Parts: sequence; structure tokens; C-alpha cells
Amino acid sequence: MVVDLNRCVGCQTCTAACKHANDTPPGVQWRRVLDVESGTYPDVQRLFLVTGCQHCAEPPCVPVCPTGATRQRADGLVTMDYDVCIGCAYCAVSCPYQARTIVHDERWYYGKETVQERKVAHEERLGVAQKCTFCVDRVDEGKAAGLTPGVDPQATPACSASCIAQAIHFGDFADPASNVSKLAAGNPSFQMHAELGTDPQIKYLYTTPAVPGRDKEPEDEERLADPSNPLVGALQTFWDWRAAMNWCFGGASSGFAVVAVLGAAAGMVNPARLRVLLAAAAVLMAIGLFCVFLEIGRKLRFWRALTRLQSSWMSRELYAVLVFYPAVLAGLLGAGPVALALAGIAALTFLICQAMILYKARGIPAWRAPLVPWMIFASGLLEGFGLLAIAGWLWPGLAAYAGSRLQLAGITLVIANAALWYAYRSSARSRGIGPLARRVIDRVTMPLHFVGHAIPALLLLSGDPALFALAGIAAVAGGAYWKFSVVARAGYQQGFALPKLPQRGSGRFAAPARLEHR
Amino acid sequence: MGEKRKIPVFCYQCVSGPDLMKVEVEDGIALRVESNYDIRGEHPGGGRVCVKAYGLVQKTYNPSRIRQPMKRTNPKKGRGENPGFAPISWDEALEIVAARLRGIRERGLRDESGFPRLAVTTGGGGTPVQYMGTFPAFMAAWGPVDQGYGAGQGVKCYHSEHLYGELWHRAFIVSPDTPYVNYIINCGNNVEASGGVVGVWREADARVRGAKRVQVEPHLSITGAMSAEWVPIKPKTDAAFLFALVHRILCERNWTEVCDVPFLKQRTNSPYLVGPNGWFLRDPESKRPLLWDSADGAAKPFDANVGDPALTGTFQVAGVELGPDGEIIRHNAAQAQPAFQKLLDHVAPYAPEWAERECDVPAATIRRIADEYLAHACVGQTIEIEGMRLPFRPVAVMLGKTVNNGWGGYHACWARTVLAVLVGALEVPGGTLGTAVKLVRPAASRTGSCLPGPDGFMRYDFNPTSREAWESKPHIRNAFRTLVPLVSNSPWSPALGPAHLPWLFQKQQPDHWPKQTTPEVWFCYRTNPAISSWNAPEVAERLAEFPFIVAFAYTEDETNHFADVLLPEATDLESLQLIRIGSTKFTEQFWKHEGWAIRQPAAAKTLDCVDMTDISTELARRTGILQEYNEAINRGAAGMGLRGKGFDYALDPAKPHALEEIWDAVARAASHDLSDGKEVHGIDWFKEHGYMLAPFPQLDWYLHPAMTRQNLRYELPYQERIVRHGRELAHRLHETGIEWWDTQLKEYEFLPSYERFPDIWINYAREVGRDPAEYPLWALTARSMQYSWGANVGLPLISEVAANIAGHRGVIINRATARSLGIAEGDAVAIESVAGVTRGRAVLREGIRPDTVLMIGQFDHWKTPYAKDLKVPSLNTLTSLALSLTDSTGSGSDLARVKLYRE
Repeated sequence: MVVDLNRCVGCQTCTAACKHANDTPPGVQWRRVLDVESGTYPDVQRLFLVTGCQHCAEPPCVPVCPTGATRQRADGLVTMDYDVCIGCAYCAVSCPYQARTIVHDERWYYGKETVQERKVAHEERLGVAQKCTFCVDRVDEGKAAGLTPGVDPQATPACSASCIAQAIHFGDFADPASNVSKLAAGNPSFQMHAELGTDPQIKYLYTTPAVPGRDKEPEDEERLADPSNPLVGALQTFWDWRAAMNWCFGGASSGFAVVAVLGAAAGMVNPARLRVLLAAAAVLMAIGLFCVFLEIGRKLRFWRALTRLQSSWMSRELYAVLVFYPAVLAGLLGAGPVALALAGIAALTFLICQAMILYKARGIPAWRAPLVPWMIFASGLLEGFGLLAIAGWLWPGLAAYAGSRLQLAGITLVIANAALWYAYRSSARSRGIGPLARRVIDRVTMPLHFVGHAIPALLLLSGDPALFALAGIAAVAGGAYWKFSVVARAGYQQGFALPKLPQRGSGRFAAPARLEHR
Repeated sequence: MGEKRKIPVFCYQCVSGPDLMKVEVEDGIALRVESNYDIRGEHPGGGRVCVKAYGLVQKTYNPSRIRQPMKRTNPKKGRGENPGFAPISWDEALEIVAARLRGIRERGLRDESGFPRLAVTTGGGGTPVQYMGTFPAFMAAWGPVDQGYGAGQGVKCYHSEHLYGELWHRAFIVSPDTPYVNYIINCGNNVEASGGVVGVWREADARVRGAKRVQVEPHLSITGAMSAEWVPIKPKTDAAFLFALVHRILCERNWTEVCDVPFLKQRTNSPYLVGPNGWFLRDPESKRPLLWDSADGAAKPFDANVGDPALTGTFQVAGVELGPDGEIIRHNAAQAQPAFQKLLDHVAPYAPEWAERECDVPAATIRRIADEYLAHACVGQTIEIEGMRLPFRPVAVMLGKTVNNGWGGYHACWARTVLAVLVGALEVPGGTLGTAVKLVRPAASRTGSCLPGPDGFMRYDFNPTSREAWESKPHIRNAFRTLVPLVSNSPWSPALGPAHLPWLFQKQQPDHWPKQTTPEVWFCYRTNPAISSWNAPEVAERLAEFPFIVAFAYTEDETNHFADVLLPEATDLESLQLIRIGSTKFTEQFWKHEGWAIRQPAAAKTLDCVDMTDISTELARRTGILQEYNEAINRGAAGMGLRGKGFDYALDPAKPHALEEIWDAVARAASHDLSDGKEVHGIDWFKEHGYMLAPFPQLDWYLHPAMTRQNLRYELPYQERIVRHGRELAHRLHETGIEWWDTQLKEYEFLPSYERFPDIWINYAREVGRDPAEYPLWALTARSMQYSWGANVGLPLISEVAANIAGHRGVIINRATARSLGIAEGDAVAIESVAGVTRGRAVLREGIRPDTVLMIGQFDHWKTPYAKDLKVPSLNTLTSLALSLTDSTGSGSDLARVKLYRE
């Protein structure tokens, strides 16, 4: 697709035509056109930006999908299979173009349904991800009828066919003779967020024949912090407290299991009690998993999340669970150290999966920062250590503390976590995390350093089991606090950015000789 | 599940239509809308429809629709009164209305003041005609109907352009010749939001081609966004900016080099000699205006064989001046100057530095824009169109609403047209063109209306101002024939007269004027003046005083709240009509085809509504005017005369005809006429094919061929004829004792002089006993592509998509201004003028002058379902209905002085 910024007037015809062609419910716009303003009075530019699924050549939504509901066809179209999708929303948070929506309940424009709405309702889309399909059915049926997409309106996506400014062009980039290939070859263009490596397949034209367009000045912080600015990403709502709970409980419990197994192996933890500790970790992990189960749109299909082990960290996480629980159960039933070691490895894998799930959510700058997986991993271990400390106090004789390697390990974990958070916060701006998310990160910093890092470090110095347990509580609280905040509060979407602005009109038909006069 | 079908219909919700579409239908339920791509090769907008068309499905199935006829049970009328509408049958409803109408016919069609007892108001810039079936035939059959109650026209239209544009170059609406234009100076014309599909389509092509547009307006509109440059001018000072452009060209540049001098000499009144009293100096015998032939140093009639007409200088000439009321002033040796010399002297004071002080645009910018305009004008170049060589002048000047109406509108309109004339860019390829005619005849042919009139100009039928023929007793309540000579007397004239005066006079009876009665029966169709008028709340109060209102009703709304009978008509996708399409039409519909298109029932009715044609026929029958009604249809009241050259499809006048029968006859006549009898199609053919076309010559986009063929001149820059009418009108009014129109009479000038137009609105506060300093800001409005003319505020789909465009949820305020007032994004604010207060959310933007706030569209609904919950502010609550804000053509301007505060 080629979108010409010099043509689009923001009339919303494509948006409405798309809503008709695709029967989308109230509030859902697969094709959205933004009204963008930049500059300061009186030097102001205003333009209209066509957004929607970019059908990326390297779509970040496809590998993360745990079910294979989102796929990329041979011709490049990124498709959705509503009957397979479980509505986990991983694709939605992985999309840097805010192209995906999940609608959980039926909605009607007038509050109650009309006969027409009943007729065009799509129950199969409830609770699952939906997005622009480039009107794939129209394209396929048109081609089958011998029509050319992009040329014949009946074989062209509705937005393009309906556009009253000829701003949206559709065609096959693989065909050098196609209209879009010619437009893209003959005019400079940019791709949205090209730096993310998604190779989006909407190319934006910004020049006229005589005027090259111009570089856009970076947005000032005030504008980027303005939620009413359409370029600013909104707070994602796909993953709320329920998803956050999985990182809190899952991270702490898997870390607990890993620390317990490692502690036992290293002789710091009483090995006889390991199976009980693992059982406790399993209970905590189950709470997290239950929370995230509540989050998904199509709960009865949850098992489908097992089908993309080859690419999705979410599938892999489930496989880790499928190994962890039998291993723990086997341990409880008296199986030997192999089962316990297996449980430890599964827990470690689970923790790594958790770290990678968030990191691979490419649509959320605060999540995809390179330090995020390390932070989740390190925090999981620290929280696990904290839980071990609590367990030790509740259950005397579990482990030795003062002067032990355990003490050293704990302090090392605290320092590592503090350092990671410091680095994360300091690099946030350079990593493209916007001011709204940074505000959340800033707000978290002092309480986190105090409760989650300083208090545990100080208490760990004492060697007293009760104080150790207090340190553990603080460490767990700190980990839960930042993870909850980053997942549920700092999850601002990517938003949009324009590297180039169109320069409207050129005046190239002026006769320069006539401009000069005495 | 039934079979899906796609049914062709037209969309004419806005004045920039019609555009053709198809409705996908299954089991009688309209599912979706899409463009009718069949016509993409012929339709100048690629066959597309715009966003508004997509609202029609929701419009059809709106659960708040009036489901059957209703009658009022609460005799008290008021905004706070519950009308108590009770369902009745169609028979009862029509009988209630018919009984009233029969009563009128018995007592006389005019009341004791001479005003029609029946009044009808339709809104939407004339678009309701495309939906009202044969209702025009009912009105024609009825006799005198007062169609002069405005629903917002005067402030919501391009009023000066309508009137002066039509006089000067048959331009009810002006458009650039967009496919060829290369430079456009655009004072506030928001074509990207209000120019419809074709406007957007053609302007986008021009932009990508490299045409440059300079947008001059107080806020950065959609159109400003798409322009090469934004010039944030102070509201209502566009005339100063335009005068300075004229000054730059005539007084600072060498006009003999940069202007199209042959055009000025041959196609305008520039060389006409002006006598000492301002009237053209004429040949004593023939009374033809004289000009000075420099070739042999003698004065000659304008149409004599003149070697070289002088444009400048002072000449001693014998002749006569014709003043008002037949006054003849004889001169044996008058000092006479060509009109062009008068123009040069007139614009000399309007230097860019002067304009900068008035309009806040830097003098250097004004000079640069004038120079760019000249540089693009291509004076001397030609282009071949359909085998004919025409001048090529790819420059245009456009004016928007509020620039173009009310005080200063005439000045801006005059200056714009003079700018075109100076470089010969009027009505030639690339230049400033008219699109359609509504005041002159024949209505169906703009070039055909280019007929010879007096003094070498085009004919124009002013409303008479002579002692004998002046209409001293207004025939309708807005008195357009009495007060506005320029508005002429066509079917459109009542709506283009001072259409707010009836509301105003109903509140305050003017001196020496017939008693301002209310109509005994008022029909309102597809209009909501209680929302769309200037000072809408006050209009609502007047409506409450009407004794009997018949409202063709879609849902309950702020106007039919006062109605006595609600008649639910079959709406857009439920009714049948054939309309003319193609040729040239506003705002940018320049076709190379003309023909007819159908709107037909696509959706099965889900409630008890009736097609307007059937309602009209039944009303005519019950009122006893069936014969006249059918004859009106036969004459062409349904859009096409049923008798014509070689055909006669006339209906039997004696009996009522079914809906399909009427439109079948229209279809046959229309297709016969279009194809010279070669292809005659009935309505069923149209239902299947949707439209029928025949070629229309592109040469007819331009008046130039007709003007040169008849050797006619544009009546510019000098306004002798208008002033004569103005002076005569002054005599007539003063003879009657009327002095309340005196300010308006001052606007009649040979060459318009600038005055400080903003002060008129600033000082209005004093007139109502307030201090102007209380209201430091300007409030303006702008059209919304999603809403304008659509009557679609009650459709949630439209509301949803419109919200993507800034301003649809509140009032746009300059960010710095808001900061200084302690207002943040989304804050609840009140905007208050002397007329009222409106409330909404603050929307902060940089693209607006710090002294200006903007409210898009028309809102402030308090009854219309869904819309009443939007809580969006409206300028219509803030504007004042006042004589002092009314110009001589009877229009006001859509702006107000306001204060703004956080609530």
C-alpha cells in the first residue's frame, strides 16, 4: 500500500467505508486517520495520517502468537483466523502500529441492536484479536474473478477503493509494474517506525513533483506528554492487572523454585525440604496462571496456546509449566533428585519465558527495552530469594544465614537489581520510551530503591532470620511493585512518528522572470 | 438467507453532491453502502461517495425514528413544554393538515398584511429538493407560499458571492478551474471539508501536480492544512488584505505590463467614461456609455468601432449621466475619467502597510502573494480546449463563508473578482469560474444564461426599484423583492433574501411596515432552524409562537418539538426520485457529461413512513388542487417537463397518480430529452442502471466563448447599475418613511470603500448595553466534512469517525491563550457572547490565532436523540440576530465576540 500524505484530507471516508466493508463494531476502526499538528503558532503544520495494520514483511505479531491464528500469507498479507485465536492479546501488544483490537462483548451503535447490525454481526470475532486484513476476501474473490487488485475497485481494499482523494493506493510491491511499485519507485517515501525492523508494507509519500518535503523536527517533550496528541501512544489496556499478576506471582514463584533447587544443590538449603518448597512455588505460580487465564478472551480455547512452540515465548512458557508441575508432583510422590532438578530447570525456563514474553512485545517501548528481560530474570531470582528467606523464618532449619553464601547471594541480587533499574531508567529516553511511561518509571524509582533494594540490603547484613524474612518481604514487594507498574501502568503504546513532513504545493509553474521587477 | 443485491441510488446530503452509490441489500435490509464504481469514468470524483453516505444505513435503522404520524396533544408550546405527541393514522394526520389548508383556501391565500398564510422552510442549501419528490409541484399548485423563513442562510452560505457572483459572471458559487489552476489565494474557503467528493478529488490532483494554494484564515482549517502556506489573518478583515493585493498590482507594479490590458479594454467596463456625478457618461442620443478612443482622440459609444479605448486620463466630453428615477444630467463639456482611472485612484490609499495594520498580515507577505499571483497568471498565454483556443490564466482567488457574507462580504467579493479581471482570469481555463446559476434563467444552463443586457453587460433582472414597479408591500415576510434589488426573483430568491428578518420582525415590529404576522401553517422539511439559525435559541422562541406547524419528521428534534403534526417521510434509502446530474454545479462538480440519476427504495420500510411524492399527491387531492398539482408536474415541477420537443408524457391532470407512475413519466421525458428520443427509458430501467448520461462540452465550463461571441463585457470594476438601484431604493424607502434600512443603503457604492468591519461586531455589545471589553475574543465556526449539511448529528457512526478530527468534541483554543486563562486540554469551558452562552470541552491547538476560538459544525442540541448527549458547543447560540449586523443584501456573518472561562 502507498499512502500519499499530500492527498489525504482526513475526511474519514476510508474509515467509514472500512467499517461498512468489514462490519466492525462501535469504536473499532481498522483504518484510522489521525489529525496531526506540529509546530508552534504561527508556524504550524497540520496533516492527516492514515494508520492501520501495516502488513509488515517482518510482522512482530506473527511469531509471538501462541496459536498460529495470526499468520503471514505467501503474498505478504498478515491474516487472522478468528476460530483459532484465544484472545491473549500478545499480538496486540506486539504491534507497534496500534492496529489490533479485542472486543469482548457485543456492542451496538444505538445501545440496542438494529436489524441491520444483527445481520452483519460477527460473533466469531468476540474475544479474539481483530485488525485490518487488507480486505483479503475482496482481494481474493476479485482475483478469482479475473480482476486486478489496486486497479479494479471490486478487488481493492475498501479504504483504497473508497478514498476520495486517491491518497490510498493498493497493489503488489512484488510486481515492479504495479501501480504501487511505480509510485514507490518514482517518489521518495518513508515507512512508519522503519527502525524497528518490521519492514511495514505501507509506504508514505510526502513530496510533490518539485518539492522534496522536509525533515520533521523532533517532537518536544510537552507534545509527547500530551495524551490528546494523536501521535502519542495510549496506555495499552490489553494486559491489565490480571496479566501483571502473572509476572508478579510467576516471576516470584519460578525464581523461588530456581533458588531453592540451586540452594539445595549448593548445600545452602536443606534438601529434604526442597519438594515442599517446590510445591509452595507451584501453588504461587498457579495463582499467577489463573489470573492470566482470566485475561484471555476465549478461555475454552486456551489449550491452543500450546501450538506455537517454535516461535512464541508464550507457548514455551506453557510447556515449561507442563514440565514443572509433573516434576513437582513426582517430587512430592517421592521421586528422586532428577525430578527435582527437572522442576528447577522448568522453573528457570519459565522465568526466562516470562522475561522474553515482555521483551518481545514490540508495540510497547517500556517493555521492549533490552534490559527488560534481564530485569525480570534478576528480579525473579531476588523475589525467589525473598520467598526463601520468608520460608526460612517460618520454617526454622531450612537454611543457614549469617555469614553464609546465601547472605552474599542475596546482597549480590539486590545490587544487580538496583543496578538494572538504574540503567533502565537512565536509558529510557534513548530507548524511545515516551514521557508518559517515563513518568511512571520515575514515580516507581524511589519507592523501589527504598523498599525493594535498600531495605533488603540493610536487613540482609544482619544475619537474623526474622530480619532476613523482612528483607525477603521487602524484596518480593519491590519486585511485584515494579513489575505491576511497568506492565499495567507504563505500558504506553508506540504511537506514531513522522520522519518527514510534506511540503504542500510548489509553485513550480511560476514564471520566475515575472517575479522579478523593479 | 436471501440473495444479496446492490441497488444504485444517489447521495445528495450536501450541496457538493450528488454522488452515486450502491446499497447492498439482503432480505430487504440495507447492509452496507459503497461507491457506484460504474460511473467512475464519468463522475469527476472517480464515482466515489464521501463519509456522509456511509451514515445512511444507520439513519435508516435509527431506533429513535418517528414510527408513525403523530399529533400534538399539549396546546402549550415552549422549550420546556412536553409536546405530548400521540400516534395517529396517516389518514387522520393528512386530514388534520388538509383541513387547515382548505380553511386557508376558503379565507384567502394571503392574510391581512398581504403575507401568504402558508409558509414552507427547507434547509440544507437547496439539497432537500433532491429528496422531496413532487412537493415542489404541491407548492406551485398552491399559489403564494412564504419560503422566506431562513434556517441559517445568510450566515451559513456564501451570500455575497451568490448575489454579486451571479450578476458578474453567473457564479452562484465560485470555483477555481482546478484541473488547470496553478496558484490559488484562498481566503477561508474550506473546500477540503465542504467541497464534497469532487472538490477533494480535484484539489488533491492539483496539489500533487504542483499547484500552490495560499490559505488566508484565522484558524488552520483542513484546507489550510493542505495548503502551501497559512496566513493567519484577523477575522473579518479579508477585504483589507484583498484591497492591498489590488493596490500592489495597480499602484506598485507596472500594471500595463502585468495586467491583461486587452481584456480590461474589451471585456470589462474599465474604459467606460464616468461623469462628474459618478454615473457613466453616455451618448446623449443612444444613451450608450461612452469611452475615449485614444487612437483618434474622441469619445465614442462603447460598441462603436474603437481603435484604442483609454483606461486612464481625464477627458473633456459632452454627454449625459443617467441618475436614479430617470434623472438625466446633461453635460456639454464634462470632466470624465475612465472607470479604470477611478479604480486606480480608489485603491491608491490601500497600501500593504495600511492593510497590515487592519488585517495583521505583514505588508511584505501581501506584496509577495500579489507578485506570486501575477507570476502565475500567464497573461498572454492560451490553451486549446475542444478545438477552441482560449486564454490560459491559471490563477484564482477563493472566498469562504464569513468572508463572503455580512458586512465586508461585498468588498471581499468585489476585490476577488477585480483580481481575476485584472489579469483576464475570469471565466477562462485555469481561472476563477462560476459553477451554477440559481437567480438568472435558464436555470439548467449557465452559459445559456449569458444573454445580452443593457450597456454591453449581461442581462440581469434586478427587483424593480422604480416608483411604479417597486414592491412597496412585501409579498412575503422577508421582503426580498422590496429590500434587495440584487437578489432578483427566481424560485431561489426567497431563500437568498434577508431570510432572518421574519424571525427578527416577529420579535420587534419595524416602523412603517405591514404587521408582521405569523404564517397560519408552516411546513418544515429537512431543516432544523432551532439549531441551524444564527441565534438559534431565539428562533426557537419564535417557533413557539407559530400557530400550526407541520413537520416532516425523522426523529424528534429541536424544531419539530414545536410542531402540531409530525409526518414521517420515507428517508434517503426508502424513497423514489429522479434528479439531474452532471454539467457544472457547485462546489466543484465540473462534468463532461450530464444526465439523470435515481434514488430508489433500497431498504424495506421498517416503520409507517410514506414517500414525499405520495404525501404531496394526497395533500393536493385533499386540498382540492389536484389538477393544478398534476399540471405543475407536467410543466416540470418534478425536475423535468413532461411535454417537450417531440414528446408528451404528460399525466392526466384530473386524477391522482401513483408514485411509480409519476416518476416513470419523468424518466421517459428525461431520457427522451437527453437522447433526443433515441433512448427512452422508464423508471424500471433507471432502477436497474442507476443513471443515464450524455456528453456535456467542457467549453461550457467557461463563459468566455459566450461572452466573446456576443461581444459582452463583465460589469466590473465599476458598479453603476447597482448604485442606481440603491439610490432608487433609498428614495422608495424614505418616501415610505422607513429609516431602519439606512445603514444598508450606504453599502451601494460605485467602488466599495473599506471600513473597519471588525468594529461592527465589537461595538455591537454597546447596542445591547454591554461593554465591548468584556468580550475580548472572536468566535468562529468551520464546516465539518463529516457533518456539513448532512442532518446526521444523530448518527453514532458519524460521531465516532468525526472524533478523529480535532475540534469535534469541543472548542478549539490557541494553546498559549488557554494557558493564560488557566485552561487545560479537556477542561469544561463556557463561551459567552451578548446573545448567549454555550458550553463544551477545551481543545488546545497551535493552528489558531490567539484572539480566536473555533467551534466546528452546529450543535447545542437539546432534543435530537443521541446528539443531545454530545455536549458540543455551537456558535449558533452566540451569534446575534440584528439589523445592525445585516448588510444590504440581507446577510450577516457567522462570528461573534466572546469571553471564555473555565467552569
